[in-house]
Amino acid sequence: MYDKHILTDEGCRSIWERGKKVGYCVNIKINYYRGLPLSCIEEIALKVDGEEVNPETMLVQHNGREYRYMDLLTDDFPTDVYWIFGEKLRVVVQKEGGIEQGRHKVELTLKTRRTYTPTMVSTCEKILTFA
Amino acid sequence: MKTNSDIKLGVSLYSYQDNYYFHKHDLEGCLAAAAGAGATGIEIFPEAMIPEWPYISDSFIDRYNGMMERYGLETVCVDHFADRAMHKNKLLTDDELLERSIWYIKAANKLGATHIRLMHSAHLGRLLSMPGHEPIDLVGPELAGRLLPYCQEYGIVMALECHSPTSVDDPVQQAYLEVADKMGLSEYIGLQVDFSSYEYCISTADVGMYSRQGVNRDFLELIREKQREAYFSGKEFVFEEVEPELRKIGFTDEDKNSLRFVLRHRAPASYEKLKEFASQVVYVHGKFYDIDEDGQVDNMDYPKIFKALIDGGYKGYICSEFEGNRRMNDAGWCDEIEYVRKHHVLMRKCLEMYK
Repeated sequence: MYDKHILTDEGCRSIWERGKKVGYCVNIKINYYRGLPLSCIEEIALKVDGEEVNPETMLVQHNGREYRYMDLLTDDFPTDVYWIFGEKLRVVVQKEGGIEQGRHKVELTLKTRRTYTPTMVSTCEKILTFA
Repeated sequence: MKTNSDIKLGVSLYSYQDNYYFHKHDLEGCLAAAAGAGATGIEIFPEAMIPEWPYISDSFIDRYNGMMERYGLETVCVDHFADRAMHKNKLLTDDELLERSIWYIKAANKLGATHIRLMHSAHLGRLLSMPGHEPIDLVGPELAGRLLPYCQEYGIVMALECHSPTSVDDPVQQAYLEVADKMGLSEYIGLQVDFSSYEYCISTADVGMYSRQGVNRDFLELIREKQREAYFSGKEFVFEEVEPELRKIGFTDEDKNSLRFVLRHRAPASYEKLKEFASQVVYVHGKFYDIDEDGQVDNMDYPKIFKALIDGGYKGYICSEFEGNRRMNDAGWCDEIEYVRKHHVLMRKCLEMYK
């Protein structure tokens, strides 16, 4: 359905604080025909230049809020916070030194639960230019 | 544009999902597209096109009402979802799912809708188990019964969508109606036809999708041809009868597995039964995947389906539900607006034919 489009080429860049790179981010979109509660995210897995990103270093920003990625996976995460259909969810990887400016291979696996069918597993790989 | 019939025509905004997802059109653009196709009503998935969901503000409602007025549209149906698998290791309880389901009833009322599509446990017939997925109970008859007093309070009818492989005449649907009968609230629940029950062959949209996924196009075209032959000669399609011919041209077990949902299909549900049940139907999804060069839906007999609904006395909306997008968009942009436009031309012709 949207597998080719879940990893966008928009807004990829390092995150800076006081003149230093402290991380980097990518923007992803949902693999479904409607928005889902963030608690229905089964997994967001990133590989950058072949290297798996440690999920514990990931933050998720959406609709003006920020969450630790690991918190989304807990069994008491709120059920009324939605990933809005068609809107980007920014995944921030906290990493000293950020990412080197230029082109990098990014692989995304996105798994979402939708109750009446098996968990939807989508993968998308792109060469993205990071600012 | 109103129809000269008890049957009115609308569009489920699901049909425009790619336009919305890729920001070609916002909600207002989708409403304009529906009205432009001739619709007088729409169906909306709140969690697709109402970004504020589940808390819809008065200012959103004011803007929404203004748009509906501008485009001459009414809200027919709000889609309910039963997201019980909310957490990895824990399912919502009935009480929690009840509370969530009431959101949709209240939203429907706020949006001026008359119906919600209830995602009930039998929407695909008996609970289906799929590879890697133990079926999860959605909204069963008892929970549906607990929702009925809220429907009464907010003036909303729950439509039980009967989607292929089930159909409105499947006895499994009756348990829901019986609960309502016992409570004296049967006017708040009814059957919903989804035209997927009346597919007689694999759609050309599926032929394209499966072939891009690696199934040989010749196999798909042969299966489609055999399914059409069976339907037009009044027989059931039996895969085992076609299998030797397919095997001869290289059809493998892997192909068989990829196409398992296509191959189990033997015949469309009964038009006679559709006519018999039509007066109990409260809402209809005019499902389609592709339209051929004659303007017909390429794998459903629309004139026969319409005749059954009209002869059976169905009064209400049929909303276009275009599902070709998700089968075609891996190959490039899918022109949903054009498909829906053609679909409305066809539906109007069918209404004219049997008025």
